[in-house]
This record gives sequence, C-alpha cells and structure tokens, in this order.
Amino acid sequence: MDAALVEVSHLRKSYGPRMAVDDVSFSVNAGEIVGLLGPNGAGKTTTLSILATVLKPDGGKVRIAGCDAQQRAGALRRRLGFVPQSVALYPSLSALQNLELFARFHGLARAARGAAMAALEAVGLSERANDAVLTMSGGMKRRLNLACGIVHGPEVLLLDEPTVGVDPQSREKILRIVGNLSQTGAAIIYSTHYMEEVERICDRVLLIDRGQVIAGGTVREIIALAGGQPRLEISFHGEAPSGWYAGLAGVRELACEPGKAVLQFADLGQLSELLQRARACGAGVLEFSVHSPNLSDAFMSLTGHGLRDPVVESN
Amino acid sequence: MQRTAALIFCNDFRVLLKDRSALFMLFLAPIVIIAVAGFSLRNIYGQPANRVYVIPIVDQDHGTIAQALIKAVSHQPSIEIAPVADLHLARSYVMTHERAPLAIVIPAGTSAGFESGLSPLILVYVDPIKRLEASMIELRLNELSRQITAIAHRRAQAALAQNTAALRVRLERLADAEKTIQIELATYRQNITRSRLAMESAVRDQIRRDVESLQRQTQAAVERSIAAARVELADKLAAKRQALTAVDQYLRQLQASERDFDRWFADLKAAAGSYAGRIPTPPRWPAPPGKDQLAALSSPIELSFSSPAWPVPSTGLNIRFPRVSLPELKIALADLIPQASTPVLPGVLGWRDRSLMPGKLEVNSFDQYVPGFGITFLLIDVLWGVSVGLIDEHDWGTLQRLQVSGATVGGILMGKMLARFVIGLMQLIVLFAFGWLLFGIALGAHPWALLLPGAAVSFAAAAFGLVIACVARTRDAVLPIGAMAAMAMSAVGGCWWPIGFEPSWMRTAALWVPTTWTMRAFNDLMIRGLPLSTALWPAAMTFGLGLVYLTVGVAASSRFLQ
Repeated sequence: MDAALVEVSHLRKSYGPRMAVDDVSFSVNAGEIVGLLGPNGAGKTTTLSILATVLKPDGGKVRIAGCDAQQRAGALRRRLGFVPQSVALYPSLSALQNLELFARFHGLARAARGAAMAALEAVGLSERANDAVLTMSGGMKRRLNLACGIVHGPEVLLLDEPTVGVDPQSREKILRIVGNLSQTGAAIIYSTHYMEEVERICDRVLLIDRGQVIAGGTVREIIALAGGQPRLEISFHGEAPSGWYAGLAGVRELACEPGKAVLQFADLGQLSELLQRARACGAGVLEFSVHSPNLSDAFMSLTGHGLRDPVVESN
Repeated sequence: MQRTAALIFCNDFRVLLKDRSALFMLFLAPIVIIAVAGFSLRNIYGQPANRVYVIPIVDQDHGTIAQALIKAVSHQPSIEIAPVADLHLARSYVMTHERAPLAIVIPAGTSAGFESGLSPLILVYVDPIKRLEASMIELRLNELSRQITAIAHRRAQAALAQNTAALRVRLERLADAEKTIQIELATYRQNITRSRLAMESAVRDQIRRDVESLQRQTQAAVERSIAAARVELADKLAAKRQALTAVDQYLRQLQASERDFDRWFADLKAAAGSYAGRIPTPPRWPAPPGKDQLAALSSPIELSFSSPAWPVPSTGLNIRFPRVSLPELKIALADLIPQASTPVLPGVLGWRDRSLMPGKLEVNSFDQYVPGFGITFLLIDVLWGVSVGLIDEHDWGTLQRLQVSGATVGGILMGKMLARFVIGLMQLIVLFAFGWLLFGIALGAHPWALLLPGAAVSFAAAAFGLVIACVARTRDAVLPIGAMAAMAMSAVGGCWWPIGFEPSWMRTAALWVPTTWTMRAFNDLMIRGLPLSTALWPAAMTFGLGLVYLTVGVAASSRFLQ
C-alpha cells in the first residue's frame, strides 16, 4: 500500500492562453482511491487524459509503475484502465461485443470472451450481454462503460466522472464496484464534482480549482483545513433585506440567492440569534437547516465559490 | 396561440442563423451544385459558348462533293476540321481530344456516284462515350447533306430546264420538217401509184404473148413425138410375128415326129421279142426354140419414146419501169436527237454512323448512369463512412478509449479506411452486377478489369473522407459538406453527364478530381470496349489523387485526433 503506483509532479497543460493544469503534483499508491474533486472546468479531465497518455503535457512528469508515461506510453496503456466521462461505447454493438473489442485491444486474445463475461458479471449486466448498447438505460450504459475500463484488469484505473447522469441505484453499484477494485490492489483516480462520492469511497482527496491543487489529504484533513465551521441554510417567503445578520461575529455569507441564504457561523451558540434575526427581518422564514462542515463547505471556504459552480474564466 | 406562433417563428430563424451546417445546406450547397450543373449543361440548352468541336476528316474521295462537304463543315459555327490521312489516325485523334466526338470518312467515288445519280454514304465514326455531342453534330451533318443535295439538285434542274428549252426548239423544227415530209411523201405516193399501174399493164401484156407462143411450140413438139413412136411400134410388131411363125412350124414337125416314133418303137419291140431289152436308144428329137426366142416373144414391146423438146419461156421481161425518185429530206435528223450531254439528276448525299471503337455504337444510357451514380453514391457512402465514423468515434469517446487501449492512430485510420475501401468496392460490384442483370449494361471484354478503377476510386474516396473529417470536425458539418463535395466531384467529373458537355475551364479543373479519371476508365472499358491497358493510366491518376488526399488527411488528422 505504500508503493506509489502513480506519481505526478509539476504537471502543466494549457490550451492557448488558458492554463488547464497548473503545476499539479500528487501520487497514488496501489489499492488507494484518490479523488479529484473540483467544479466543471477545473482541469480534472485534462489531468486524467495526460495520465491516460492520450494527451501530452506541456511540462511536468508522470510516472506510472515507475515508468515515464510519455516515453513508454505504448507499454503502459495495457496496464491502464480509463473510464471516460462520456459513454464511450459502440451503440449498435452488444455489450459483449464492446467488451470483447476493448479486451482484444488491451492484448487479451483468446481470453477476451472470458474477461468480457467476467466484467459483465462484475457490473451486473450478464443478462444483457447480447443486447445492443442503444437499447440500454443510462445507468446500464454507465456500468458497461466502467466494465470496458476494467475488462483487462488494469493496475491503474482512471475514472472521469463515471456517475454523471445516472440513477441512484446505478450510482450505488458503480461506487461499490470501484470500492471492490481498490481492494484488488488497483490504484484508482476518481474524478468527480460530487462531494458525496468522494467522501464515501476515496482514501484521499485532491481539491482542484482552475488547474491547481488547492488542497490535498483525507476528507477530515481537508475539512479541518478549511476551518470546520457549521453552516445555516435558510429559505424565506420573500426577499430578505441585505445584511440582516450583520453584527454577529464570525458569521459570513457563503451563498445568496433570492429568497435563500447560506451562512457559515463560528459555533452553534450563535444559531438562536441568527434565527431570531431572520424572523425579525420581515421576509418570513420558510425553512432552515443546520449542517456540519463537509468538503463542499471546505471547497467554498478555500476558493470562495461552490463545487457546482462552473469555473469562470479570469481572462 | 398567435403569440406562441410568432415566438416560435422568430426563434426558428434565430436557431437557423446559429446553425452553420443548415445555412450551408440551405444556400451554399445548392448554389454550388446549381453552378456546376448550369455551367456543364448550358451548351445543351443552346446558350452560346466558346467551345469548339474538332472533327477529323478522312478525304478518300477528293471530288467536288468531298470539297463541298469539307467546306460546309468548316464553315459551321463552333466546328473546326482536322484533315487526317486515315481512319486509324482519326481514331487516335478522337481518343486524345475531348472536343472530337466523331470522325468523318468520305469514301472514294462519293462524288462520282453522287453525280451519276447514285446515293453515296458519308461514313461517320462516332465515339460512343461522346454519343450525345456526336448526335448534335450529326444533326448539323444531316442538314449539310440535305443542303448539298438540294444545291446539286437545283443546279441539275437548271441545266435540265435549259436542255428542255433547247429540245422544245428542236421539236418545233421537227414538227415543221414533218409537215414538209408529209407533203413530199404524198407526192411520192401518187407517183408510185401511177408507176405501179403502168407496170402492171405492161407485165400482163407480155405474159399473155409469151404464153400463146409457148402453147404453139408445145403442140408441135408433141405431134412429132407421136409420129416417131408409131414407126417404131410397127417395126417391133413385125419382128414378133416372124418369131411366132418359126415356133409354130417347129411345133407342127414335133407332133408328126412323135407319132412316127411311137409306131416305129412299137414295131421294134414286137420284133425283138425277148431281145427287146437290147434295143438301142431311140433318136434325138429336134431342139425346141431357144429361151431367148421364147423370152423375146413374151417380152413387152419397148418404144424408144423420147420426150419432145419443150419450148422454154423467155425469162426476161422487156418492161421498162418508170423511175420514181424519193423526196429529199432537208432536215438533219441528228440535230433533232437529244445530245449525249443531257444532265443527270444527282443522287442523295447521305451518311451512316458507325462506332469508332470496338464497342457498340448505340450506348445504353445505363452504361453512363450505373457507373456514374455508382461512383456518386460510393463517394457519399465512403466519405460519410470515414468522416462520420471518425467524428462519431471522437464524439462517443471510443476513439480516445481505443487509444488508451493501445490502438495507434495510424492503425485506427488505416483500419477505418480499409473497411470503407472494401465496402465501397463491394458497393460498386453489387451495383454493376445489378446493372448488368437488370439494365443490360456492357461490362467490356474483361469485366474483372473494372475492379481496377473501382478500387482506385474507393481508395481515393476513403482518403478524401479523412480530409472531410478534419475539415468539418462535427457530424452536422460533415453531412452537408461531404454530400456537397461528393455531388460536386461527381458532376464535375462526368458522372452525371458526359464530361465533354462541360466548358474548358471546368474540364481542366476536373483533372484534379478522381471521378474524372475513374469515369474515363469505366467509359473506355465499358462503352468503348477497349482493353485493360487503357484503364491503367486513369486508375493510376485516381490512385495518385487518393495518395494526395491521404497525405493531407493524415497531416490534418494528427491535429484532429488531439
């Protein structure tokens, strides 16, 4: 568990004037799941594409299993599994045919059929083996997409938002499969902007924003790094006047929408005062909820914007 | 509802203005296709163009008709002539000149035959693949033949009218002469009648006199003959009588001797008794008259009667015939006979077309359209297959996944192009097979030879598909751009109509598209019926253009695949 299977150091990649990946460094050990957490456009997919050896970096180094990923890309690709963000499948082919095809590309010849069936079994699609992909639901396609990435039993698995747009049941299955894979010793890099998934399956988290790693460590470490303060989410019938919470020490607004506000406060003792002020402001309190600090709060605390907010280009 | 309709109406325009592909298909694509078709076919619709057809002419006649025809053809607008020595050179000329759809051969003896009233034929050797252009020229040739025939006929009719007038004059003179002859003949007939009557009278008199004289002479001769015969008869009768008297005396002596002997012999025998047997032979009887004497008695009396000397009538008629002279004809009949130089109405100048190539003359329209539209749809299918296939794989993410799976970019491109190349070739084979079965298209002497240009164009289409994929980038853009490129290449390259219809600049541009060379190869093999060797160069050019497309596509695809 201590040997770093993936080592990334000072990775840089730009598209014209826009810096997509800016001096990113991290490592992943065998059997470890590292989450890349960041909003859309933060540079997660570019980082994974460089790790998958399909994109050349402008600078920095990537070593996988001790080999330079750029110089020995051909040899490393068979040890890599890549699950792209899109459903990268041939729609008119059956699930089995898709899997067999990618298994053969990964070097499995006669074993391709067996590996494909095993992968289908792993993602719970054995019964749909001969069905065309286009007849499957979104969740099934996502699971098959994952199966195509793991059909050859990779040492390093790169997952780029594998649960986008899937139903809760499929998401649950996918997360369970990924957890199982890590137990076989695979080093997994899991890119997502779903904080809950990271909190649930990742051993470590890298918060990425605007191409840079702004924080790294376990979930607790990152939350602690951001201060670990609770937050209040409150909804009004009408629009609350600006500064209705002014004067309370340690309280700051994280987000504000018409009829809704998210406030971070220093300790739970301030809660009753905050609620009284809300009732007194005349907007009419509709509902409220108090949350313990999480990664999303930590991200917002560290970057000043939410995980779900797309990156706004500075230039 | 009206507000909804208005909003949707405006929004549709807004969406359309944002959709470059839709705008491309809406305006640019049809404009390009319309321009190509319009430029190509404007000659058919009679719009003046600066195109000039060149017609190689083989003059084996060197007569007036040949000269007239060559002059007439050369004066036709937009037609030039190229005199060549023989049909072989004419064939080479047509093969190497796009603007030469046919060759004309004027056979030896055409002028002579035409002038003598026959209907000689000009031979028009047509290149089957330029049949439509040749037909337009044949129409003009037909008109020229008709005009030449009409002019010759008018000239002959004028000459004939002059001869008729001269003949009419001669006939009038002949009528006058006839009257004169009639008068003289009447006089002659009267003279003849008179002479005949006189001669008949003279002949009758002389014949009567001669007959009377002859009767007299005959009578005298007969009488002389009768007298001589009487004398001779009396002499002969006296001789007969003397002979009869001698015979009568003998017979009397014989009867007396017989009686004396009988008595003597009886006495003798009685006297002899027993010696009667020793009695000697009695004496011999007198000899009877000889046979000649008896024959003379029985022979008829012959009279040496000789025919009289008959008088011979004189054979000459001493008649003097009257002299009747023939009337003198003062008209020279030779003048009245039509002269030998009477003009003959010339014949009809016609023409017959033949195929200049080994293939048949009459081209099945499907011989043009099966390969033409086969190439068009091959282009569309292969272009779309390669370009849409690559873009789809890019969009689906399978291209990236294939790369991560260890597939090389070169291998992916080669595999995709090879698949589409084979599919395109199979499509052509199926279309040609159906064309042969259903429409009876010609497959040439060696049908398998069609695979060569088919393979070349399928390769070029696959390579061009790679270029389109790199240019268009999106599926929405590939479909219109690919379709327009395929249609434009097909139209310019002569897939939809013979390339000879196109203006010069368009034919020059067409040398840079593979469809031109492929259609040339198909036409040579199928319609012209030429051997495989003729398709080698077009196929090589198609393949070469495919290599150019491939080079450009590979260079552009590295950027695309990133």
